[in-house]
Amino acid sequence: MIRLQVNGANRELDVDPEMPLLWALRDVLGLTGTKYGCGQALCGACTVHLDGEVVRSCVTPVGRAQGRSVITIEGLSPDGSHPLQKAWCDLAVPQCGFCQAGQIMTAAALLAKSPKPRDEEIDHSLAGNLCRCGTYGRIRAAIKRAAGMAEE
Amino acid sequence: MRRGLLLLLVACASPRPEQPPPAQDRAERSRALFLQASRVFLHPRCVNCHPDGDSPHQGMEARLHDPPVLRGVADEGVVGMRCDSCHQEHNLELARVPGAPHWHLAPRFMAWEGKSPRQICEQMKDPQRNGSRTLSQIVEHNAHDKLVAWGWSPGHGREPAPGTQEELGKLVAAWVESGAECPAEGARP
Amino acid sequence: MAITRREFVGGLLISLAAGRVLARTRLAQASSGAGLTPNVFVHVAPDGAVTIVCHRSEMGQGVRSTLPALLADELGADPQRVRIDQADGDKKYGDQNTDGSSSIRNRYEELRRVAAAARAMLIAAAAKKWGVPADSLQARDHAVWNGKRSLGFGELADAAGKLPVPKPEEIKLRPRSEMKHVFRALPLVDGPAIVNGAAKFGADLRLEGMLVAVIARPPVVGGKVVRFDPKRALAVPGVKRVIQMPQPQGAVGFQPWGGVAVLAENTWAAMRGREALQIEWDPGANASYDSDRYRGDLSASVHKPGKPARNVGDVESALAKAARLVEAEYHVPHLAHVPMEPPAALARFGDGACEVWAPTQNPQAARTEIARVLGIPEEKTTCHVTFLGGAFGRKSKADFVSEAAFLAREARVPVRVQWTREDDVRHDYYNAVNTQLLTAGLDSEGKVIAWRQRTAFPPIATTFDASVAGPREGDLQQGVTDLPLAVPNVRAETCDAPAHARIGWLRSVYNIFHAFAAGSFIDELAHARKRDPRESLLEVIGPPRIVTLAELGIPQLRNYGAPLEKHPIDTARLRTVIERATKMANWDNRSTRALGLAAHRSFLCYVAAVISVVRDRAGKIAVDEAWVAADAGTVVNVDRARSQMEGAVLFGMSHAFYGGATMKGGVTEQSNFHDYRLIRMSQAPRRIHVEIVESEGPPCGIGEPGVPPIAPAIANAIFALTGQRIRELPLMRAGVV
Repeated sequence: MIRLQVNGANRELDVDPEMPLLWALRDVLGLTGTKYGCGQALCGACTVHLDGEVVRSCVTPVGRAQGRSVITIEGLSPDGSHPLQKAWCDLAVPQCGFCQAGQIMTAAALLAKSPKPRDEEIDHSLAGNLCRCGTYGRIRAAIKRAAGMAEE
Repeated sequence: MRRGLLLLLVACASPRPEQPPPAQDRAERSRALFLQASRVFLHPRCVNCHPDGDSPHQGMEARLHDPPVLRGVADEGVVGMRCDSCHQEHNLELARVPGAPHWHLAPRFMAWEGKSPRQICEQMKDPQRNGSRTLSQIVEHNAHDKLVAWGWSPGHGREPAPGTQEELGKLVAAWVESGAECPAEGARP
Repeated sequence: MAITRREFVGGLLISLAAGRVLARTRLAQASSGAGLTPNVFVHVAPDGAVTIVCHRSEMGQGVRSTLPALLADELGADPQRVRIDQADGDKKYGDQNTDGSSSIRNRYEELRRVAAAARAMLIAAAAKKWGVPADSLQARDHAVWNGKRSLGFGELADAAGKLPVPKPEEIKLRPRSEMKHVFRALPLVDGPAIVNGAAKFGADLRLEGMLVAVIARPPVVGGKVVRFDPKRALAVPGVKRVIQMPQPQGAVGFQPWGGVAVLAENTWAAMRGREALQIEWDPGANASYDSDRYRGDLSASVHKPGKPARNVGDVESALAKAARLVEAEYHVPHLAHVPMEPPAALARFGDGACEVWAPTQNPQAARTEIARVLGIPEEKTTCHVTFLGGAFGRKSKADFVSEAAFLAREARVPVRVQWTREDDVRHDYYNAVNTQLLTAGLDSEGKVIAWRQRTAFPPIATTFDASVAGPREGDLQQGVTDLPLAVPNVRAETCDAPAHARIGWLRSVYNIFHAFAAGSFIDELAHARKRDPRESLLEVIGPPRIVTLAELGIPQLRNYGAPLEKHPIDTARLRTVIERATKMANWDNRSTRALGLAAHRSFLCYVAAVISVVRDRAGKIAVDEAWVAADAGTVVNVDRARSQMEGAVLFGMSHAFYGGATMKGGVTEQSNFHDYRLIRMSQAPRRIHVEIVESEGPPCGIGEPGVPPIAPAIANAIFALTGQRIRELPLMRAGVV
């Protein structure tokens, strides 16, 4: 039995500890905001926070989350009011939207550590999050907007 | 490669203790031992994560790590792209992602990329550049560290480092016992 | 499984909360009740709620933020009180294939009429109530107005619903000046659901008792299962069933690819179960496919005369007497779609009927294919459309949907099929691999007097008819036969290229390689003639004019299904986007900046791109800035048009830098993002500038036309920087990135 906190709630999961956290979240807990994109930690669509740090849930055995706190996109804010979520909507960042939960989760971890990130910091921290639609420019701008910085 | 190392180990790492070699022979042997061990240090499994720059490499051809990652201040990555964002404490076969406890980059002062065996040897003996380790700690690190151990069980079809960790431990121990001499600059294994 | 009660809807675990899910349309039910339902697209309820159906699939192009807004504006509705219903697959909506950049350009007037009909009926109802002539009334802000007097849409809905629906010829569209919202940036209606994780994509829906299926497909297209042993797979905890898929017959089409499915309680168990399967394959005839060797075959093919597809003057004589010849061969490999969401679909089967939920671009085609696979009438199939996590043409093909339908019937429980990324990369409908040979003759003054273009690629038709051996004349309308050239002798030829892989259409399709070759070659001609590339490009295109079929040297042009009278080939528009893009990029004062230019008309839209490249710290090529000008005629949602152009730069960069699926022994060598790479944020240009030309002309495509000019503009910029001419993609192969 794996005991962990997901979005602030205590959960007990009767699953193989080697099951990737992604599938525990999606298939067992029904939290489908976290996406499967590659299964190899190459695309970042599955990004969640484990005790505040970014992990790719597709390669993180759920056993690693034992006794720890997991935050998914559903738990980033109670009502979609995180500054990043607001900036994402204001600047109409998403195209298909599939990668955006992962992008936002990575950006949230970045802003928690570096409230006014430099351009290179944004690029380096989000280099693990692919977007096939090509929304990178707007993502950069939305992160800066959420950080209260000039967007250009 | 593995066979060659084993043969040499038989020749070098099992000296007859009752007949200590003369000093010159001993130094020569020490240099040979390090040269032998450097086959491991210079193997892509090891040198890929002892880079001279800010990013590790991947594969036998030592291409730049992709996704692009940086060492960060603690050699553990940067926020959002920490080593342990992806690497676990063990290899993931289905996902191909390699893993071992405390997966991280060697500090920049321990870079092996582009170095000769002699340069690596001098660096390994220098507490300023070996993480303040004594020689016996160096032996211990090579012989038993779990991240070092990954080099021989890299998973998913990756070529392991030559020999075994046990053999490397013995080689390094014998090198230390024989005076921890460094090979000549041009010497290659 | 931990499931909260509120997620159940009549035994379904599918939440239909408004705005959160692409709910199935409820207009059919509504039409039997109160309110106004003049057609299948619009409903006005007595409480004033307006429901508008989006009949096209949302895959990032923003159609749900655009088409319903267009109807709402024509109606005079308050956008806050409009609910969008996502249409199921149904012929009553007309063509739903979200493909060919066609949603606006093909349905613009028709859908405005649909809303205008509803408006006319609301006005007629108000006119009757007030006893005033209808033409004295206006519909705006969700009400019908007579001076300061107004009646809300809700108050009028029942009465309007009893009036006759006006005939199409009686319906008048609003003048542009009366449209309050559209023709500028519109809000992104699904933004909130996307950023909080509530938006439901193909893999996000669950049914009670559902199993997840992961399928081991034959590694080579056309291969077969000889025998398999399910024992080890069934021993994996959570695995429930192992089921052999039907073997495709004849041309591959949209058929499932065959293989063996592992069905499990969760995705992880299904993936592990598949790893444990033991299967012996018969790879079949395509096992001989080696894409490197095939490259040589294509090269040989274009070095022989092909079948003429376009002919003006006498190219061979002109080449023979030219003062100078310029010749270049270009190659673009198979390209994969790799949408961020790998294909997935959910199906259930019972009482001879099948219901599916899928991220499909073409729900009607999905129904046809499900009916074929299951041997049931199409009326017994239902296809609901979820959000599409990227598609780019991949999800027009119904193979993954009918896999789920087949397994749901066989397993007697609902089944969700999940493709892994490896499945997606290895079993794609690849864009055609292409080689071209371009030959130009210059006279003694350097003027281009002859242009010969030979092109060889296995066309999409090969996927549906195995006997097709190469492109046909009609395939060349994407950038060869429709290419405006002010050259007196022009000839285009198709050369043989049989298919050994599953070929499909990918965002802008054959335009990708035709624009790469022509866009690069025109730049080569500029340098051969020591001319500024922009001046040279404008000269080759020629003066502003409407280019006739006679000038093109072809008997007809499909023209993306649009009449030439309405959408002619207009070089003035092509020249305008070139001038605007180069002006933005400060082309004339570019000094030491390495800029590359290319322009292309596709899907009736004109796009020019200027790309700036630099060397990064490692000496590799990087794109640091891009300028795109597009003339798409009338643009309903300027922001989504801009975002499509921004995205096209990145999409084109990924092709140019890394694109390329290669095959050995018929097996695709790439499998995931480590060997099928995409541009990452750190490589994205610091700035992408987009200008959308203001126009009241008929609307053109937006989703695809931004892609073709990107790769040649990059190659031309690299030449400007390094003097190295790139004639083959991806750039990775040349080691420059």
